[in-house]
Amino acid sequence: MATLLLDIVTTSSMLFIIAAGLMIILGVMKLINFAHGAFLTVGGYSAHVVTNAGFNAWLTIPAAAVVGFLLGIVVERVILRPLYDRPLDAILATWGLGIVIAQIITFIFGRGVQFAESPISGTTDLLSVGYSSWRLVLVVVALALGAALTALLYYTRFGLNARAVIMNENLARGLGIDSVRVRAVTFGLGAALACAAGALITPLLSIDPNMGLPWLVNSFMLVLVSGVAIPGLALASLLLGGAQVLVSTFVSPIIGGITIVVLAAVILRIRPGGLSRG
Amino acid sequence: MKLTHLAGSVLLLAAMTSGAAAQEDPIKIGIPVGLSGANSVVAPSVVQSSELAAEEINANGGILGRKVKLVVADDGSGAQGAQSAFNSLVFQDDVDVLISMETSAARNAGLPIVNRAGKPYIYTSFYEGHSCSPWMYVDAWVPEQQVTPIVDHFMKEEGAKSFYLIGSDYAFGRGMLEFTRQYIEKSGGKVLGEEYLPMDGSDWTAIISDLKSKNPDALITSTAGGAPNVTLTKQLRNAGVTIPYGNLAVDEGTAKSMGSDASGIFISQSYLTGISSKENKKFLAAMEKKFGSGLKTPNDLSVPQYEAIYLYKAAVEKAGSTDPQAVVDALPEVSFKGPRGVIKMDKQHHTPLTMYLGQVKDDGSVKVINTFKDVDPGDQCPNL
Repeated sequence: MATLLLDIVTTSSMLFIIAAGLMIILGVMKLINFAHGAFLTVGGYSAHVVTNAGFNAWLTIPAAAVVGFLLGIVVERVILRPLYDRPLDAILATWGLGIVIAQIITFIFGRGVQFAESPISGTTDLLSVGYSSWRLVLVVVALALGAALTALLYYTRFGLNARAVIMNENLARGLGIDSVRVRAVTFGLGAALACAAGALITPLLSIDPNMGLPWLVNSFMLVLVSGVAIPGLALASLLLGGAQVLVSTFVSPIIGGITIVVLAAVILRIRPGGLSRG
Repeated sequence: MKLTHLAGSVLLLAAMTSGAAAQEDPIKIGIPVGLSGANSVVAPSVVQSSELAAEEINANGGILGRKVKLVVADDGSGAQGAQSAFNSLVFQDDVDVLISMETSAARNAGLPIVNRAGKPYIYTSFYEGHSCSPWMYVDAWVPEQQVTPIVDHFMKEEGAKSFYLIGSDYAFGRGMLEFTRQYIEKSGGKVLGEEYLPMDGSDWTAIISDLKSKNPDALITSTAGGAPNVTLTKQLRNAGVTIPYGNLAVDEGTAKSMGSDASGIFISQSYLTGISSKENKKFLAAMEKKFGSGLKTPNDLSVPQYEAIYLYKAAVEKAGSTDPQAVVDALPEVSFKGPRGVIKMDKQHHTPLTMYLGQVKDDGSVKVINTFKDVDPGDQCPNL
């Protein structure tokens, strides 16, 4: 029972961490970033490069975030900015970008599986069961991330500007907010979060050119169900992640794999705006 | 008179040259292999060992005085790619034989083409067993040969009575564990759980929690190679699972790169680089010399491929020609002493093999724990 509870909490945390970057970009830019899976992969490979070079495994996370931020800034400037008036084309462009990134990674590192060292391994005793330490770390990271993103949006100048752009971009621009800069920083931030998430899940996964792909669909569903808000995303992760664990445990892990997608479709049928909006 | 004489000698000359040309026509060996797709990581090692075999044979006078030529085609690791690869090899390149390591999906798609064309086909990949054709021979292991050493070792040496099985949801994964379950139950053991995840699945959380709650004595896994195998092993280690762990899908190379996570895993293979025979040392040295730093570590897929090319050579020499029917009839009669020992495909088109039970050490090397001599493949194709 304790294990089941921990499974639910840790799985939800993992989903929250992975989906956060996608949600930030969708929220501010109204853009579904289909390169999100590829950004996760870039994060995994960043971790591989960092530990291979002999650095401490904890450095993989900030390093991946920096790589992601720079990548995001460049992608925004070169690929997305010219397409802001053509939102559908911009979405297609991110999809193509995902393929290009995966191929570049294959070209450099090959198709095979790569490895990175884990910051910690083994188990910790909690609620009288020995449970994976790294999964518990992910819970702490998810909580910190949620708090940090909330603080960023509600207690900083950038957050205020971002919220203004979300509500009414034209009006915000009229008031002198540099919406182009807000978009650029947002995309960089979203990519940084995605890459850091990629580094954070590598202790539990293999690093290969398609490692991020299976997470893309689930993240996408979570973000839609969340209604694009941080508390909504937390709730969606807990709800859908929990359902996935329950179905996997009591029905079948194979059906568990499609739980999030099916449940998300049902929720969106009942509440088209997601959990946060009426 | 003089003119006819000249014409005659021209004719004679023409006959001689064309005769010589026929003599020099190479024997073509078709190699459909998964250069792209799921097998793309291991395929280069298979191509390398084929190249070495061809080079060695050609340096020693070829087969019946004819050179050997390899025709490699990408089967995309799947059914669709295999169909076009087999079609072009058989009907356009008109190869004399097909020798290949492939996925089961690719083999199943290619086999009807082989049957229709009537070409000898040596399949060199371990697989789930019971694939039969009068034209096909297999020189790699089937579940009967790979699983039994691990289960026997766990029950006798580790005192395991209850088992838990985890696999990827596809023909090979399910086929292997199906046999494993039957064999465990026949041997008096109990299977506490048997769970699968789709091939691209990476979240083993629920399965591992179930495993821990059932508390079995030993664990046997049969995932797809590469990513699923790595994610499962990492998550098992992260969850603190330390019971004896037999992995049916890990090879030496993967074990090495996985580092400490792979430590302690039991593997069962017909080839390990550590085999100390003269033939294996010679083979490894030749591979090293030919490919240098570009060498892909020889493994349980590339070595059977190497040996199969020599088995084909022996069969052609015994038959005295490349006539398909004569070669197929000769294949079970001939043997070749290769890196894995003496290989003879004489058991219902399959091969009794010496199996090695190895355990991965902390540094990623594999230590041979036990050797099982000439393990029988069982009744694979009783109707052939």
